[in-house]
Amino acid sequence: MPSFSSAPRRSLVRHALCGAALLATVVFAGSAMAEPKGLDLSLDRPSDQGVFRVRIRSQAAPIPMSRVHQWTVHLTDKAGLPISGADLTVDGGMPEHHHGLPTAPRATPVGTPGDYVISGLKFSMRGWWEMKLAIKAPDGRADRITFNLVL
Amino acid sequence: MKPFRIIIGAALATSLALGATAAQPTWSAADLKTLHGLWIGELGPPPPDPSNRVADNAAAAALGGMLFSDKRLSANGQVSCASCHQPDRAFTDALPTGHGVGVGNRRTMPIAPAVYSPWQFWDGRADSLWSQALGPVENPVEHGFTRLEVARRLAAQYRDAYESLFGPLPDMTDHGRFPLRAAPVGAADARAAWAGMTADDQVSVNRVYANFGKAIAAFERTLKVRPGRFDDYLARVFAAPGPQARLSSDELAGLRLFIGKGQCATCHNGPLLSNNGFANTGVPARSDLPTDPGRAVGVRAALTDPFNCKGAYSDAPNRCDELEFVVVDSPAQVRAYKVPSLRGVAQRAPYMHAGQFSSLEQVVDHYSHAPAAPDGTSEIKPLDLTADERRQIVAFLRTLDERPAPSPKPR
Ligand code: HEC
Ligand code: HEC
Repeated sequence: MPSFSSAPRRSLVRHALCGAALLATVVFAGSAMAEPKGLDLSLDRPSDQGVFRVRIRSQAAPIPMSRVHQWTVHLTDKAGLPISGADLTVDGGMPEHHHGLPTAPRATPVGTPGDYVISGLKFSMRGWWEMKLAIKAPDGRADRITFNLVL
Repeated sequence: MKPFRIIIGAALATSLALGATAAQPTWSAADLKTLHGLWIGELGPPPPDPSNRVADNAAAAALGGMLFSDKRLSANGQVSCASCHQPDRAFTDALPTGHGVGVGNRRTMPIAPAVYSPWQFWDGRADSLWSQALGPVENPVEHGFTRLEVARRLAAQYRDAYESLFGPLPDMTDHGRFPLRAAPVGAADARAAWAGMTADDQVSVNRVYANFGKAIAAFERTLKVRPGRFDDYLARVFAAPGPQARLSSDELAGLRLFIGKGQCATCHNGPLLSNNGFANTGVPARSDLPTDPGRAVGVRAALTDPFNCKGAYSDAPNRCDELEFVVVDSPAQVRAYKVPSLRGVAQRAPYMHAGQFSSLEQVVDHYSHAPAAPDGTSEIKPLDLTADERRQIVAFLRTLDERPAPSPKPR
């Protein structure tokens, strides 16, 4: 594992601290983006209005970079009963870079109750990605959910 | 990393970048993540291409290398792939648009980075290197040749090498069945001759033509992107073995702008400084050229190309994820072009898909002003860079110059 930072010299640290307040604006404009603090990174949680509970997982670990791969989805209602036959639409992108997904993924049922697979996902760079699902159950209930991934 | 430490780190880096001496700046955790992604050490072997059975076959690469520079594969006997993709110019030609048998509408692209890309050409109208290679040969302004002539050339000059890889060539001695010159595209005489052939004979010629492309692709896959001083700097930052270098304060400031305020790394990321995507960056249209809708049309062409991954000549028609899940009919594809790799960019002016800019200074000015796109919508917002900042970005881009190719071993 390479070491990422050399130990800064003390005098420089003090010098930097003095200037930090002054430089703060410049600094943040001048650095690569870090994802916002406090992002909910959970991949198993209730949908926006609490209609469903959704669990997603990449079939490849670690999540591959620049390669098309698949995710599994498990969909239940609030009470944990699996929902089959739902319509799932996949969308997403990088909010900080104002671009969408580089591919057009699709979700299809896999046969077991509440289980779906998303095919065709690709992440073309590291950073904060959103994966959005619009869900429509066969009985008409609908909701959305946005997962956050930091790659 | 805690924000407090980021402030220290970044402020430290900023103060050092402002200072003249070459002490090593400290980058924030987010910066380091981005920088690590840009490092050539992250570039693995080319991704596999299951649609090309001989993609990594050495004999196919040797045959492909000969075909790549064979001028007899052209209407006037003077044009080979290497005429435009010149090995000593990073496989480009220093011209605004390519010159073959005639003059084209797009700028010649480097080859080594293309090996990593799922889409070929500025508009991504080919989904593999092997199907890409079939385009220029029948393009009337490039090789101006036909697939039947290619098949005959292979039979006359490369029969053994070809047949040991791909099996017997069709017997083309009956000129009634196999005309001398025939193709479904290009000149009217060639198209008429093609239309007169039986479907079976067309397929057997198409198969030879596809194999020709596959051998060339195997050769292209052996070409290497070479590291530059930038990578030696990153080797130093990440304490990696091998050559290490410092960057000047201008170069460092340029790098900071590149991954920060300039937002260049939104598109130019990864070890090739390209996300292999397509974007409309508001590059002006050349008034002397026909309207060019870019990716919007390119993606349609890739989907209908008989030589695509799902087609009859592919070696893995069930393993075509990129084609299967490609984005189509998105407004963002209008005048979107392939994000080029910036490796060695200073060594191969001019720039952009039709050579619109002749210097890196002009390129950076373009990003600073961010004019509206001639069609579609530009993704670039004006950066209003100062003269110093523009100079610094150019200084950084020059650190991507590729080291000279290792000289051939003395005999
Ligand atoms: C007349 C000059 C010329 C000739 C000859 C030529 N090319 Fe090109 N090449 C170009 C131009 C121009 C482009 C960009 C074309 C476009 O986007 O429409 C290009 C694009 C490419 C690309 C795509 C790179 C990328 O990143 O997408 C590859 C690969 C390539 N050429 C290989 C070849 C091969 C192989 C041959 C010979 C069979 C060849 N070229 C012959 C000019 C030429
Ligand atoms: C939204 C994506 C995007 C961003 C952001 C972006 N670029 Fe580009 N860049 C492209 C595309 C696409 C092209 C090719 C455009 C064309 O030919 O029409 C390109 C072309 C270039 C070229 C010319 C390369 C060549 O081979 O012709 C350079 C140099 C360059 N960009 C540098 C930068 C710098 C420096 C920044 C930041 C100030 C930047 N880019 C930001 C997408 C982007």
